[in-house]
Amino acid sequence: MDELEQLYQTTYTAVVRFLYRKVWDAERAEDLAQEVFVRALTHRPEKPRAWVFAVAANLARDEARAAVRRKRHLTLLKGDPVSQPTIQPAADTLVEHDERVAAVQDALSTLTPRDREILLLWDAGLSYPEIAAQTGLALGAVGTTLARARRRLVEAHDRQHAQGDHAAHS
Amino acid sequence: MRHIPEEELHAYLDQGLSRSQCVEIESHLASCPSCQGARDGIAALRDRTTALLAKLAPPRGFPPAFETLQARAAVAASVRRRRVHVGAWAASLVAAIGLGWTASNLVTRPVPPSQISHPVSITPTRSTSAVPASVPSATRQSAPRLTPRRVAVSRAVREDTSPTVPAAPVVPAPALELSSIDIPRADREVELDGMWRTMSWDGAQAEAGDKLPHIDGLPVVQVQVQASEHGKVPLTVVAQQLASGEVIRTIEGPMNDVSHLLAKRTMSDPDPSTSSTRSDTLKPSGPSHTDQTMAMQRGDRLLVITGALPSDSLLAMIRRLNAEMRSK
Repeated sequence: MDELEQLYQTTYTAVVRFLYRKVWDAERAEDLAQEVFVRALTHRPEKPRAWVFAVAANLARDEARAAVRRKRHLTLLKGDPVSQPTIQPAADTLVEHDERVAAVQDALSTLTPRDREILLLWDAGLSYPEIAAQTGLALGAVGTTLARARRRLVEAHDRQHAQGDHAAHS
Repeated sequence: MRHIPEEELHAYLDQGLSRSQCVEIESHLASCPSCQGARDGIAALRDRTTALLAKLAPPRGFPPAFETLQARAAVAASVRRRRVHVGAWAASLVAAIGLGWTASNLVTRPVPPSQISHPVSITPTRSTSAVPASVPSATRQSAPRLTPRRVAVSRAVREDTSPTVPAAPVVPAPALELSSIDIPRADREVELDGMWRTMSWDGAQAEAGDKLPHIDGLPVVQVQVQASEHGKVPLTVVAQQLASGEVIRTIEGPMNDVSHLLAKRTMSDPDPSTSSTRSDTLKPSGPSHTDQTMAMQRGDRLLVITGALPSDSLLAMIRRLNAEMRSK
């Protein structure tokens, strides 16, 4: 079996999930994931697994920028003052109403972009050396970053829960 | 005895440590209840994170067959091969920019003669009197080809106006021989105006071949094509919109025709008394006098990019788009 085909079978879902956590649109995440593998097929990279996630991260970044541009453009057309672009989570209606999911989304959004990126790359199955290579982080700093990202994610999530409970009881 | 730092326990559980580091940590753990507790806490945190993130999974879709992607890759590869031709223009633009392109911004308003820092260099056969714009295409075709890679700096000369309007100003760029194209002012408006068609992108591409010039990466809002004689590549005006709403036009065609188009827009500029009678002839592209224009010549064809934004923005944009294009 083609090396890339094998990679496709084993990591496609992980790539979609990785992208979904950046664009918050399941369909779009699948489109982008397919684009990633199409590009892999034309480029034939040396380290395909790391390459695939690097390209996925780039596509997601472009996507976010385009979304910000569109938003700004629309805002200008409407004559409104340009507001600070915010990434709108939960474009996917299936998830939108699930408060528990929204709580995790919110918690994730409180992380710094770098912490979030590294956490998502780890969760997508990349190894420490792969994460270091992709993000430019020193190998020794991956553990530090992951430690902080995990702690902050859980803290942010639990804080929301506490606030939610407090609001519910008062 | 040194306790194990938090991040090392993360790395240990994540299997991100070397074998010797693992051995070291394990031997410490075996005899340190405090670090065992820390490890268990981090293991729980780790599981908790994974469980939280697991909630952020898209509904499971059906991955397309690998063969589908292979087919798409094959198509993408062939498209890219074709796009190289289109990209060639843009690539040369970048080369031109590197060699002092900024010197060749077209000036659309009269420039005091004092600013003409260099005598206009004119290709011998293309004299100041130039080819009258009304000459039939046969004459145009017989016009000598200028050296490729020469950047053409042009400014319409109003031959009928007072001497206060200077001849085409040319700022010499250090590395390139600039040549001024004398843009003949002629009365072909009627002829030109009647021949323009607005087309769909696909239709225009079919007509102009694969070389329809445009700036890669910007949405196309309008394509106008001038009817061409016997299968020649026509004069095209591709209007593309920036996210800011500004419209950038890329004009490409036989040098005389493009020059003529620019001449007409220039005519409408400095003198309101004449512009009122001329402005209605600007239909094909209708760029305003605030537009920045950059031109590049290749053979007997001229590529012009024009838009109402500062020239350095235009340059920056072209550079950026080209960089993006190459990185793909």
